[in-house]
Amino acid sequence: MYKSTLLLVSGMAAALVLSGCEKADLDTAQQSGAQPPLPEAKNYLVPPIHVPTRVGWQNDETPQVAEGLKITKIADGFEHSRQVLPLPNGDILVVEGNSPGTASITSPKQLIANKVKARSGKGGTGGNRVTLLRPQNDGSYRKYPYIEHLNSPFGIQLVGDDLYIANTDGLLRYHYRPDETKMSSEAEAFTDLPSTINHHWTKSLLASQDGRKLYVGVGSNSNVGENGLEVEYRRAAVLEVDIASRSSRIFASGVRNPTALDWEPNTGKLWVVANERDEIGSDLVPDYLTSLQDGGFYGWPYSYYGQHVDTRVQPQRPDLVEKAITPDYALGSHVAALGVHFSRGDGLPEQYRHGVFVSEHGSWNRSPLSGYRVTFISFSEGKPTGPPQPVVTGFISDDESELHGAPVGLAQLQDGSLLVADDVGNTIWKVSAAN
Amino acid sequence: MTPTPSRPAPRWAWLLFALLDPIPYGAFVAALIFDAIYYNTATIMYVKGAAWLLVFGLLAAIIPRLINLFLTWMPRYRASAATRLDFMFTALAIIAAIFNAFVHGRDAFAAMPTGLWLSILTVVLLVLGRLAGNACGPKGEDRHV
Repeated sequence: MYKSTLLLVSGMAAALVLSGCEKADLDTAQQSGAQPPLPEAKNYLVPPIHVPTRVGWQNDETPQVAEGLKITKIADGFEHSRQVLPLPNGDILVVEGNSPGTASITSPKQLIANKVKARSGKGGTGGNRVTLLRPQNDGSYRKYPYIEHLNSPFGIQLVGDDLYIANTDGLLRYHYRPDETKMSSEAEAFTDLPSTINHHWTKSLLASQDGRKLYVGVGSNSNVGENGLEVEYRRAAVLEVDIASRSSRIFASGVRNPTALDWEPNTGKLWVVANERDEIGSDLVPDYLTSLQDGGFYGWPYSYYGQHVDTRVQPQRPDLVEKAITPDYALGSHVAALGVHFSRGDGLPEQYRHGVFVSEHGSWNRSPLSGYRVTFISFSEGKPTGPPQPVVTGFISDDESELHGAPVGLAQLQDGSLLVADDVGNTIWKVSAAN
Repeated sequence: MTPTPSRPAPRWAWLLFALLDPIPYGAFVAALIFDAIYYNTATIMYVKGAAWLLVFGLLAAIIPRLINLFLTWMPRYRASAATRLDFMFTALAIIAAIFNAFVHGRDAFAAMPTGLWLSILTVVLLVLGRLAGNACGPKGEDRHV
């Protein structure tokens, strides 16, 4: 009897060790593109966790860039700098924010996972403001506190003289005046946004090219429905807000976490990057880049990558799975894409002019790590072609134990150079042509 | 060397054991009920409730199990075969519950049906232990509850 007890205990210990040390089989390049290989889904006793420790950037350390490019720091010392918005007068707005921390702990797993993830510096609260960067004669930027006391802001857009900011609980509208270094107008509550729990708290924002609509990416309230499906109302969706009437509707649904949106310049189609579900494998499910169809359903939570059914969701919905659209382009599993920006103008070298930049904030539940870089994906006739090309790298140490920074929001200045908001290194980087 | 004289376990130990030991038993029975409800209704609060009950049950089991370990296996306490059988069943139940706590860390229905089966196994082993220790055992000094 003693022996059998011992055997059971050692067997259990072995199972824990094995599941905890599981390595991914596919690298990001192998799992990118229109038809990514998708291994069988599995369940874990202990899902893999691999979180590098935040160290930030010391002295003049910078990320590395691909050949033909150079990178410079334009400002630092932010509190979770997540989005950048270049303004017509040359100023740059930086949105600083982090999770509202309002999601209550409802399972023992959350209690443990929160403590582990906090080590990377991605957790915590803070920011809740917009900082204005104004260019000086010597080429540097001066920082001004522009708007404060926001509520976990993320998306930001300027439409004419109206500045829209997407707080986690609603859209705010301000009257923008180009000469100001501190916003003088009062915030106008424009519309509310889904704001229970806020498991995925970011609300990404993009204005239509005619300035009549706003598109809001609202992430799901769970990994895969484990907080109950009733809290997913208008979640995992891209909402379309009509500016004139302030009414809104669901433009596309079943997109687990639509973290960034942009218009493809040639076709005028709306594209999104989305973060897919966790805990069914290190190589499942790839995050993706896709064009969005009006009224389209993209699977979450019932299925992934088209009709791959996720058995963790009950009751199942075969009627919805049947309609699920397969995304256009896989980015690799757990890369955590948080930024998307289509290249415009001719300020960057030729190979970066026709396609899209994607920032990958980086994985926390996969070994080896994936993401932690900015990539470029070439486009031809409105469709992505070829694998993602690394553009900005070096956010993690070579041994994957230390984290310097992590890229989020992307934008281009008038001269074509690419701005990268780094919310772990709390820096804004500028990537431009080397000569 | 003189062998240690055999003697009954101290009363305070049995008293503490009697106070604490029902807590994990109740928690694991409640977890089984919640799992059964979740399995049938897919109402998420029940599986989250079961996950907490398993963790609380395991934490609450630490002190009574340690007391039981000493009282059962230290020769001077003269534990009966029945008490030892009870200890074994309960130890196996705790191992099943540890597994089950990890299974309940899975999201939503991924905990099912394994979690339900492990909950059943845990409660059955606890019941067998109690039957062995109380019904079948001699009414000696070491009888615990």
